[in-house]
Amino acid sequence: MTRPKPWYKHGGIITGIVLLLLILIGGAAAALVFTQQSPDQPIQFPHRTHVLIGAQCQYCHPAVAFSAEAGLPSTDKCWGCHQQIERQSEQLDILASYVESGEPIPWVPVALLPDFIHFNHLTHVDSGIACETCHGDVSQMTVAEPQTRWNMGWCLECHSRTGEENFVRLSDCATCHY
Amino acid sequence: MKSKISRRDFLKLSGAGLATAGVLTGCGPTSRYVVRQPYSSMPEFGQTGVSTYYATTCRDCTAGCGIIVRTVEGRAIKAEGNPAHPVSRGKICQRALTAVQGLYNPDRITGPRRQARGGGSVEEIDWDQAVEVVGQALQGNAGSLAFLLGGTPDHLFDLVTELAEALGAPPPVRYSTLQMFEGRSTLIAATEAVYGTPAVPHFDMANSDVVFSFGANLLEEWLSPLAYTRQFRQFRQDAAGRRTGYLVTFEPRQSVTGGSSDLWVPVAPGSEGLVAAAIGRLAAEARGGGVPPAFAGVDVNAAAEASGVPVETLTRLAEMFATARQATALPGGNALGHANGLESAVAILTLNSLSAANPVSIIPVEEEASAPQGSLQAVQELVDRMRSGQVSTLFIHGVNPLFELPSSLGFAEALAQVPQVISFASFPDETALASDYILPDHTGLESFGYQRVQAADRPVLSAMQPVVVPLYNTRATADVLLAATQQAGAGLDYTDEVAFIQSRLRPLLDANDPDGLFRADEMPTFWAQFLQYGGWWTQSPRLEPAEASASGGSAIRPPEPLQSGQLHFIAYPNKLGDGSVANRPWIQETPDPMVTATWNSYLLIHPDTAAGLGVRTNDVVLVRSEHGELETSVYVYPAIRPDTVAMPFGQGHTELGRWAAGRGANPAVLFPPQANGAGDLAFADTRVTLSATGRRRPLALIESLDGVYGEGH
Amino acid sequence: MAQVTEQPRKWGMVIDLDLCTGCNACVTACAMENNIHYTGEDEVAYGRGLYWMRIQRYWHGEYPNVGPEFTPMLCQQCGEAPCEPVCPTYASVHSNEEQINLQVYNRCIGTRYCANNCPYHARVFNFFDYEIPAPMNAYLNPDVTVRSRGVMEKCTFCVHRLVHARIDADTQGDPSLENEVTTACAQACPTNAIMFGDLTDENSPIRTLFERSERGFQIMEELGTFPSITYLKGGGVYGGRD
Repeated sequence: MTRPKPWYKHGGIITGIVLLLLILIGGAAAALVFTQQSPDQPIQFPHRTHVLIGAQCQYCHPAVAFSAEAGLPSTDKCWGCHQQIERQSEQLDILASYVESGEPIPWVPVALLPDFIHFNHLTHVDSGIACETCHGDVSQMTVAEPQTRWNMGWCLECHSRTGEENFVRLSDCATCHY
Repeated sequence: MKSKISRRDFLKLSGAGLATAGVLTGCGPTSRYVVRQPYSSMPEFGQTGVSTYYATTCRDCTAGCGIIVRTVEGRAIKAEGNPAHPVSRGKICQRALTAVQGLYNPDRITGPRRQARGGGSVEEIDWDQAVEVVGQALQGNAGSLAFLLGGTPDHLFDLVTELAEALGAPPPVRYSTLQMFEGRSTLIAATEAVYGTPAVPHFDMANSDVVFSFGANLLEEWLSPLAYTRQFRQFRQDAAGRRTGYLVTFEPRQSVTGGSSDLWVPVAPGSEGLVAAAIGRLAAEARGGGVPPAFAGVDVNAAAEASGVPVETLTRLAEMFATARQATALPGGNALGHANGLESAVAILTLNSLSAANPVSIIPVEEEASAPQGSLQAVQELVDRMRSGQVSTLFIHGVNPLFELPSSLGFAEALAQVPQVISFASFPDETALASDYILPDHTGLESFGYQRVQAADRPVLSAMQPVVVPLYNTRATADVLLAATQQAGAGLDYTDEVAFIQSRLRPLLDANDPDGLFRADEMPTFWAQFLQYGGWWTQSPRLEPAEASASGGSAIRPPEPLQSGQLHFIAYPNKLGDGSVANRPWIQETPDPMVTATWNSYLLIHPDTAAGLGVRTNDVVLVRSEHGELETSVYVYPAIRPDTVAMPFGQGHTELGRWAAGRGANPAVLFPPQANGAGDLAFADTRVTLSATGRRRPLALIESLDGVYGEGH
Repeated sequence: MAQVTEQPRKWGMVIDLDLCTGCNACVTACAMENNIHYTGEDEVAYGRGLYWMRIQRYWHGEYPNVGPEFTPMLCQQCGEAPCEPVCPTYASVHSNEEQINLQVYNRCIGTRYCANNCPYHARVFNFFDYEIPAPMNAYLNPDVTVRSRGVMEKCTFCVHRLVHARIDADTQGDPSLENEVTTACAQACPTNAIMFGDLTDENSPIRTLFERSERGFQIMEELGTFPSITYLKGGGVYGGRD
């Protein structure tokens, strides 16, 4: 008389478990990859070109100097320059169509933090933190790319380098979470 | 055994995988696909991430408080008090705070429409058609037009008055439940009788050391709750932080004011004037120098008996009044809403002349003096006209008569006799849905305007301006009327609402008052500052002490005694005011100060009376008057006379959206249609009988968990 | 780089019960400022209303000498807070910078231990996800996190205003900007019964009241919670109710 196989040794169960693990790991891996890719944008905006011709970040994102938000430029601001410049890219035709219709451009934000974090551009810019410290080297990007390092440890690591007397304040939960 | 995973299971599992990924990475892939739409052209007055503040005026009662609304990227975020405004001085009440929930209410009427009365077919129309409908109505027989407006003394009232004059139509009729509850017409008539000027008097409570309030709920709902609450603060505490002042309230139900008073005297409803007259006589005797003729004929013992206040108490209070440095007597709604209300108001006002220093002053506002005040009498005449078919088109703005008027007045039946009813309501209230057309006006935060402030210590013209772009396809009623007038050829030559408002500002600009908040040489500058500061007012108070003319004063009839089983019934306005804000969830959720109840109606009843009836808090009772009946939960309230029950106004909507409809009961069904001598509704003369229904409906109270465990008090 | 040189603040509040009329304007102001959800009649009846602040009304006396006593009750921002040591996830933590108690929403897993341990009943719990129908969500304050189901919340002393004021003061080099900050309840209070300020500031109007008023007391101070709110009551010419 042989003992019946325990339930976990049935081929079907094992296959099922393996399949489940594969699905979970595969799904997680896929999602990790997806989150690190740039989303589709209405216009393939070439940050690189703009940086190379010497445009300052704050020209298009001026709100960093006086508010928590960086802000996106209005269509008018884009068109202010581009109506003067010869159109060398079909991307500019898309811009022109938005100008004509008066519809806002539906940008997909890349530098997104969860809702319970209140990052403040003003205080960072005022402290002399360069944009590329967080946003990466935009001069190498077309559309803005997500940065891999954005987690709390990374924020705190930088805050801890500001000196011991400041770290009390800069490690306080209420600095970002309220 | 063969492993079978169907396609459906596979999808489920993949979903689980993605969810896991979301947890692992800290943000799910879906959360990234937010779309941000920047301005196509950034407004010059706005900047991303920076709040913009606009000064305007609250429209939720007639006090005219200045507010400042914080807006972020075109959205109205929060209303705050305007620190410069002489009425609010940076402070704010619940109703103005929830103004944004009115603006963004999901139940708003989104565009002009033609509809079948009482529900049924709704047909969207455009504004050209709407203007044509109004224009044709205006072209008809002018005598058969009728305008019914709210009580706010604003630009629309001025425009409609001018329009009615130009057309030869009857002047607009006004009705405001809040003014009815404070007895404003009665107060104005009494002021004319005592001081010779028909105006809302200003009471200097701040510098008084004794204040007697006869039914005036000045901290919650009187002429101007914020302005008088600020006076109460100065009255109550001196600069060194010492408690000062002695406030006595004479009212059958302890109101918020009664709760903050030093002595609450529960007088029998309707006997407030008698008490005032008796105190007047005793105070004059205590002071020496003769009794004024108004109080000479008063029998103190009879007054004590009718009111239930012992003679000793009256004597003590009279001495306090006579010896005070400055004593003030305030005539308020509970005292005036009786058949003898006008006589009571005269007696209470006359009492002020016994004070060592005169606490009463008057700012004469000429436009207001000539304008008809909202009163029940005027509405009654309108109802009679409607019922006899003399009204072909009725225009309604800023008032909800089917809800606010006593049902016994018969407005609903009279409305059925009117061939065409045009409502300008922003919300689907009872009257709007019983109209043929709804031509929605902007809400208060979307529109221009001005409001004359009646209860300030100086002349104030408070400004209104839009803080956001109108959300829906609404149009200012003034613009609709002006466009229709031009179509009808009945010459009012204002191009639009703003032109009309500016024409009314012209006298202020021309007067060039050196004490004015600002001066300007031409209208655009004046207009810009008018909007920027939130209005125009003088920098220093401008009050003329009111001189009482020695008149006889007529005898005050004592209230009729209750019949067996009857109780006095007093309705009172609380945070919900006239009920038009009942569709804002946070005003519903804000607890009542004295009862801590939210979201519903309740009947306040003395513990002994409740025990006699065999009911406890949360039991449902049937309240029946001669004119109607309603059912509501009981709240056993220790601070009310045993022969009186009371109920807040504002609930009991059958319409007005998801948060208001079908909630609580409307005490207006119980009111008698009688008016007092000045034409105000004698709402406090309502007599009711109670019977227990045996049912129970728990109230949502903050003070206990009665609703969970079902335990009685 | 902005210099962080000034000493830490200690925010405090003084509530004058002699002046409080119980009007509840503070309750609504708090709700509108802090994106507090309304919950509806049933939830309020079940005691699940999300009031960060409430006015407690107590009756005293017998008819006709009866009257209410009002006590505005909100998080007392204790120096030794009973809610803090019981939180297993450190969601309820003390802020060394602001000297207040914080609730870190993203750490909170909803054990509700803190609410059980709060002697003031100042904490409320999101039993459900409450949805605000569009377009009413347009009025939500962008400075304050919208909480979701399973999260404990409470009065923050309007910490978003404190942080923004500090940033403004730092970046504009004008420390006075920080002294002007006030909470939504104190801003709305029609009698100025609620006063807010910095207790470390020599010139703060509330400092003397907080520390030395003979009318002052703290609620349940015998528990040793060291609240940041002092209540004032009694004394004076007429000595209260007749």
